[in-house]
Amino acid sequence: MIFENIGLAAVEVFHYHNLMLMLIGVFFGIIAGAIPGFTVTMAVVLSLPFTFGMPPISGLSTMLGIYVGGLSGGLISGMLMGIPGTPASVATTFDGFPAVRNGKAGLALGLGVWSSFFGGLIGACVLATLAPSIAMIGLEFGPWALFSLIIFALTITASLAGENMVKGLIAGNFGLLFAALGAEEINAVDRLHFGFDVLSAGFAYLPVLIGLFAFSQLLGDIEDPKIARAPLMEKTGIKVKIEHWAAVKAIVRSWPNLIRSSAIGVFVGVLPAAGSSISNILAYDQAKKASKHPETFGTGDLDGIIAPEAANNATAGGALTTMMALGIPGSALCAIMLGALLIHNVVPSPLFISEQPVLAYAIFTAFFVAHFMMVGLQTFALKAFLMLTSVPMYTMAAVILVYCAIGTFALNNSEFDMWTLFWFGLLGYLMKKFNFPLTPVILGVVLGDLAELNLNRAWTISDDVSLFFTQPWSLFFILLSLFSVVFPWYQKFRGKRSWTLAFIPGMLIVQSLPLFMMGSIIRAGIGGFMVALALWLLWRTAQRGWILEPVEPLGAKPTVEPA
Amino acid sequence: MRSLNRDVYIALLLLGITCLYFWETSNIPDPGYASLGSDVWPRVILAPLFVLCVAYLIQSLRRGRTEGGEPFRFGVFFARYRNPILCFVIFFGFLLVIDFLGMLIAGIIVTFLLLSAIGDRTPKAIMMHVLVSVISVGLVWSLFTFVLRLYMPEGELIRFY
Repeated sequence: MIFENIGLAAVEVFHYHNLMLMLIGVFFGIIAGAIPGFTVTMAVVLSLPFTFGMPPISGLSTMLGIYVGGLSGGLISGMLMGIPGTPASVATTFDGFPAVRNGKAGLALGLGVWSSFFGGLIGACVLATLAPSIAMIGLEFGPWALFSLIIFALTITASLAGENMVKGLIAGNFGLLFAALGAEEINAVDRLHFGFDVLSAGFAYLPVLIGLFAFSQLLGDIEDPKIARAPLMEKTGIKVKIEHWAAVKAIVRSWPNLIRSSAIGVFVGVLPAAGSSISNILAYDQAKKASKHPETFGTGDLDGIIAPEAANNATAGGALTTMMALGIPGSALCAIMLGALLIHNVVPSPLFISEQPVLAYAIFTAFFVAHFMMVGLQTFALKAFLMLTSVPMYTMAAVILVYCAIGTFALNNSEFDMWTLFWFGLLGYLMKKFNFPLTPVILGVVLGDLAELNLNRAWTISDDVSLFFTQPWSLFFILLSLFSVVFPWYQKFRGKRSWTLAFIPGMLIVQSLPLFMMGSIIRAGIGGFMVALALWLLWRTAQRGWILEPVEPLGAKPTVEPA
Repeated sequence: MRSLNRDVYIALLLLGITCLYFWETSNIPDPGYASLGSDVWPRVILAPLFVLCVAYLIQSLRRGRTEGGEPFRFGVFFARYRNPILCFVIFFGFLLVIDFLGMLIAGIIVTFLLLSAIGDRTPKAIMMHVLVSVISVGLVWSLFTFVLRLYMPEGELIRFY
């Protein structure tokens, strides 16, 4: 059955029309990822007006192409300019830029490209093998657990806003509120429109997403008149030939680093809301700790290039796993992909893979194929990027702003959508100015209807609220939500307050409780393992005399100057 | 001069919006047959939102007053945020005239205005802006109209279809 589905999906994905669209997607993804100020998310958002009219497989393949291309495109500007093209490539600049300055531009770029490739393939394998298994577990959830899972996705997204957690939670709630405005589908009631007929249909979420992400981002990019008028990159006269073979050999020699970094990437991706902007730094940090020569990190160490690039592409596989298996976006980008699926009346849920196997396997296949295209197109994209660098930012911003308007109109042939774009663009810009994170709003907008639907289903089955706490999976996610709310304080006081020593063991013990309630020997075994691990951690801390060890901030740029 | 930090004002504004929406939930009609009324979900959202806004207000008040620098001057504010403000104003104008001019002409004009407002205004730059506006908007408009078969607003000035 699986092979039959893979075969059917492959026929669709390998159709020449689809391959052409993917090639275009990967190419523009690399360019967009390479331009500082343009994020992968923005590139995918901008592709929505083009892809929504396509068949689902073509549309999603193109978006996956942009996604994969964008993730690896960030390394180009990170290495050549020292400015990461996307947040996913921040750590790449730590050693990539010094390596280029040391005269190893070809090798450094090759390492970046091939690490992205191998990391992505590992992520794709995890996606193809793990997603169906997680989806099987997801079938047990029921409306209570699905509702709690959405709450968990929102709380963890907000908690990753760090000290702005309250702002993150407010943003998430406003996202839910935006989704609740206008026509309510379950009871067919118009609500919260203050008597304005124009608001009674509510906001289409794609103009909201384009406004919040793309429009506001463009305005931020041109805020400074000097930067707006300057070319994207000063003329460097760089002529780089990517050293593919030398890079592959270096990566093979450094395979433990590749595997470890990819595993970190996948793990971070699977967590809702934690994206490649975190995984690349985490992987770099671990590579440095595991290295025999950590002092060389920051001077152009090859392992310092392999780790973040493998991790950020692997993260995409992890994030897609959560999205496809549970219908919960692993990142803002996946939230947009999820929105694209919803346009085609495909609702990602634990049933998604079993109900839409061809589409699901097409996504796996397209993600896999996009990585090969990314390697093949990197040389051309690099040349195109170097040509584009003479264009000032304001030219691109102005053109894209108008494109946003045209594209938004094209989504539903509605002028109201363009007004939505405008107001949400303004809102997004102000939110950034006032340090409100945007990702929770996006998640709230995309997941709002799903949350209400599951709450309604749960209520229809039984009006007993305690079921949210007695259903094991629901309890599991509620407890995770509570821990995710406390997590920013844990991060803040780690190494300073003694209660942080008990946070992780405490979380393991408490989270084991719903596993014991599930009535399965394997899950009880996992619960038992978690308790044992917690006790061992506590014992180890006690042996050390409950000493608070100072924690080095993650993502701190190495201070070593390149030779 | 010491003044309340800006977060206090934002928190108060958000509290006001939350209360306004809470009041609006009382206007949601009850269909009579629903197990869960249409007003329940918005209230489920708004109740924690209210608590969070109060927490945000308390957090902001605890941070105390900030040393007010120079008093607010529109000139300084405009100089700092000139480009985003111009973009919003031009885009707003674009949305107002689109029914009259149509997407193609309004798009070209708005792109030109945006480029000229933010970029250089030398004769050479202006010529370049005209070219960029016509080519970029023309291409995207043609792509949507002729390739994707999506009809853009044609306006009252020139009829295309």
